[in-house]
Amino acid sequence: MAGRYKPKVNHNSEFELDLAPLLAVMVKLVPVLLVSSAFVQMMIIETELPQVVQQAIEKQDTNPKAAQVAVEINKKDGVRIIVTENGQQKIELVALNSNQQIDMPTLHAKFQEVKKSHPEVFKIEMNPDADVPYKEIVRVMDEARKSRSNDIRFPVKNEKTGQDTTTEYMFPEIVFANMMDG
Amino acid sequence: MRRRTRYKPAVKRNQTFTLNVTSMTDMFTILLVFLLQTYSSSTVELDPVKGLRLPSSNTEKNPVDGIKISISPTELKFDKKTIAAVQNNNIEQAAIDPNDSEFIKPLFDELQKINEAHKLTPDVKIGKVLFQADQDVPYGTLRKIMYTASMAGFPNLKLVTVVGN
Repeated sequence: MAGRYKPKVNHNSEFELDLAPLLAVMVKLVPVLLVSSAFVQMMIIETELPQVVQQAIEKQDTNPKAAQVAVEINKKDGVRIIVTENGQQKIELVALNSNQQIDMPTLHAKFQEVKKSHPEVFKIEMNPDADVPYKEIVRVMDEARKSRSNDIRFPVKNEKTGQDTTTEYMFPEIVFANMMDG
Repeated sequence: MRRRTRYKPAVKRNQTFTLNVTSMTDMFTILLVFLLQTYSSSTVELDPVKGLRLPSSNTEKNPVDGIKISISPTELKFDKKTIAAVQNNNIEQAAIDPNDSEFIKPLFDELQKINEAHKLTPDVKIGKVLFQADQDVPYGTLRKIMYTASMAGFPNLKLVTVVGN
């Protein structure tokens, strides 16, 4: 009886993978991506916020008795945080540091203090002097927008569900109050 | 005397060789991954203006569509059109209204054109301004642009910044 045919399989055989088509695809893809890539990532500062925070801002706008927080930026003195509540003003000054720059960590701590005492306030009125550079204004806005620490959060009430929750946002809505002053 | 023949290495004509492209493929793969990561998914096209250094911010909001106004140390631009020269971070006096020191007439005219065009074909861009300003421009100059934009019915200002330091 004839033996069953067994094809010879060489288990130690090596073969070369043809990478040319893969390379051809990559050579086309890389220039396309190089041309369309944005290496400088631009963002915007605006007031689109989580719904809970947005509702709290709307509530603040409808409440005329709510405290008002104003921020004055002065090149000589630094930053003044003015809290007006029930007709009384409380002024906090963050002086310039030894390099004649705004002391940002101290300013952030002051914003956190103000937010802790007035959790219902989300809006600040910005009043920079005419000679304050744009970058300093943006830095102050950065310090005021959000709490840097994940441990420090502020209470906010969800107006739809009535539940208490927390947010890291401090003063996300910024209004340039002296824009029309001239 | 027998003359010694000069050694000639044997050169095979019509020889073919295989190019090892593995390392090149490795390089392209790394490059491709990097480029895919940096690829911007934003639908809004924001061209950096020459000579303009944007301030850095920690905001996480992607740009939205709007009217583009930019102020660099040399010029004030509406979209890609130069509307006024800037000297020492101040807008040239010729562009300022003589009766209102905060009012930039050419900018107001351009924004009014947008308002008129909007009446004919409603446009989502209306009311929003994407504002690119050099980081060293003082607030006094920025205020003139903000004031003029508000007067023209564009109070919604989006400040364009770059990510990180």
